Amino acid sequence: MSPRSEGKFVAIVDDDDSVRDTLRGLLKSVGFSSRVFESAEQFLGSGHYHDTACLITDIRMPGMSGLELQARLNAEHCRIPTIFITAHGDEEMRFQALRAGAVEFLPKPFDDEILVESVRAALDR
Amino acid sequence: MDEPEKLRWNPGRARAVALRYGLALLSVAAALGLARAFAYFHLPQSFGTFALSAIAITFWYAGIVPGVLAAVLSSLVRDYLFEPDTSIESRLLFDLVFLVFALLMTRVVRGRKELEQRVEERTAELTRLNDNLKREIAEHNRVESELRLSEAYLAEAQRLSHTGSWAWSPPPGDIRYWSEECYRVQGFDPKGGQPRFEEFFQRIHPDDQAIIAEAIERAVREKRDIKFDYRIVHPSGEIRDAQSVGHPVLGPSGNLVEYVGTIIDVTERKQAEKERERLREAQADLAHASRMTTMGELTASLAHEVNQPIAAAVTGASTCIRWLTRDTPDIAEAREAALGVVRNGKRAADIINRIRSLSKKGDSQRQLVDINEVILEIIALLQNEAQRYSIVIRTDLNEDLPRVMADSLQIQQVIVNLAMNSIDAMKDIDQPRVISIRSQSAEDQQLTISVSDNGVGLPQQQADKIFDAFFTTKSHGIGLGLRISRTIIESHRGRLWATPNSPVGASFYFTLPATLASADETHDHTNV
Repeated sequence: MSPRSEGKFVAIVDDDDSVRDTLRGLLKSVGFSSRVFESAEQFLGSGHYHDTACLITDIRMPGMSGLELQARLNAEHCRIPTIFITAHGDEEMRFQALRAGAVEFLPKPFDDEILVESVRAALDR
Repeated sequence: MDEPEKLRWNPGRARAVALRYGLALLSVAAALGLARAFAYFHLPQSFGTFALSAIAITFWYAGIVPGVLAAVLSSLVRDYLFEPDTSIESRLLFDLVFLVFALLMTRVVRGRKELEQRVEERTAELTRLNDNLKREIAEHNRVESELRLSEAYLAEAQRLSHTGSWAWSPPPGDIRYWSEECYRVQGFDPKGGQPRFEEFFQRIHPDDQAIIAEAIERAVREKRDIKFDYRIVHPSGEIRDAQSVGHPVLGPSGNLVEYVGTIIDVTERKQAEKERERLREAQADLAHASRMTTMGELTASLAHEVNQPIAAAVTGASTCIRWLTRDTPDIAEAREAALGVVRNGKRAADIINRIRSLSKKGDSQRQLVDINEVILEIIALLQNEAQRYSIVIRTDLNEDLPRVMADSLQIQQVIVNLAMNSIDAMKDIDQPRVISIRSQSAEDQQLTISVSDNGVGLPQQQADKIFDAFFTTKSHGIGLGLRISRTIIESHRGRLWATPNSPVGASFYFTLPATLASADETHDHTNV
């Protein structure tokens, strides 16, 4: 992690525990610390989002969706670099996410290299 | 009761007694009168002759006591009116004559009475015999008419069921009895008389003759029951299906006397069976098509469902490689990541298997199943579709339910149909969307499974039509889901119905009998 992001972590929000766990494992393998949340609500309620250097979130989840989470953070002027991962991604959704400030939009299954690079870029911002 | 009865005044009997004794008096008076008249005209006749006649008449018509009275009176009349001056010996002689005559008449009257009694007894016996004979004849007639009626009923029953009865003695014997229906089934004219066995055999379809001949020969040789199916070619060329069964009748020494059996025209039954089979196939095809339609609707969700573990596996594999290709490979972490790959690979395979079993086509397989497991398995497939529309699926499953004899695939199809309806009904509502799936025990050893939602509810005034084929309120449906669901549940001896929820939504319920079936029922094949 870059000096700027020291003490910060990557937040992973996904309702699927296997996706959460493997993402955490991937980030660990490249030396990034991360925290996992099973819903957008849990992430928002954790009070940790000010320490979040980068947010990786699924789009479709029960309750609040990833896009709604992004909108909520934007509304609160909390500009966390956000990477969306989704199994349902279409171009319209991708456009909407990127327009709202997403740094990356990755359809599942994604290339780990791209994700790692995106996270690294987000942390270096 | 007899004595007082006899003593009681009886006008009829008194009159009879009076007549009898009156006859004694009258007859003696008449004899007296006649004797006087004869004497007046000097005719050669004595009172004695007339008196004997009077005594005889009285005895004959009035009985013994009045007869004796007539004899005594006659004696007195003669003694005191006709021969007052005769000697005592002469009087005694005449009295003796009257007495002897009276005794003789007594004997005669008794003899007559005995004769009359014997005649009466004989007559009574003859009457009784006659009555018995009449009764026997009536009984015989009744039995005969009942027999005739029973025969008519039997013939009618044979005609209706296309069942003929026969008796046949194996060679050198021949057909011994053919009921009317045998003629009809085999295409013979009853007026042509009973056919010979060879004639009957010629009516069997040429392709079946060899098999039937062998079957008969073997049965006769082993003295065993005959049972065979064959085709009959009628003189018109029409081919009918028949089934014949026969039982050997053995003599006292175990020798084969004859076969007694039936022949049934099963043409219609066979055709109906073929029709039923075709219908079953059509129903199975329809159910499969419906499942495929449902699967089509679920495609996006199912793809997501499969994609999740694949994505996780791919990420896990990449992570594994990263741990292994570091300057200092971390085997423990790589192993952990690789185990994740295995886990996720299996999960993807499980989901694909579940989808594949839903799209499987074929006979229904009934087994004892835990209904809660069936529900939870299918919810796993539905969860994603529900999430797509922000619908929460809640379950309330009674864990103490007995197992049910069911085809889990078909039951899952019903739950998918009901849940998809609920999802459709809730897509456009603003309040929180919830599907509740419950399992509970009901009365009469039944389980009730319900799928409830808070969607738009049942179509008004058409609530009873939702189970009709091709009735739909959806733009994308064909209106078969509920119809097929009901057919499936009814084939499981259960019921499926719907009720509106208050204030919004609808609940669908279905029951399944919680019978503990025996082992041989565990593979009941029913096509739906």
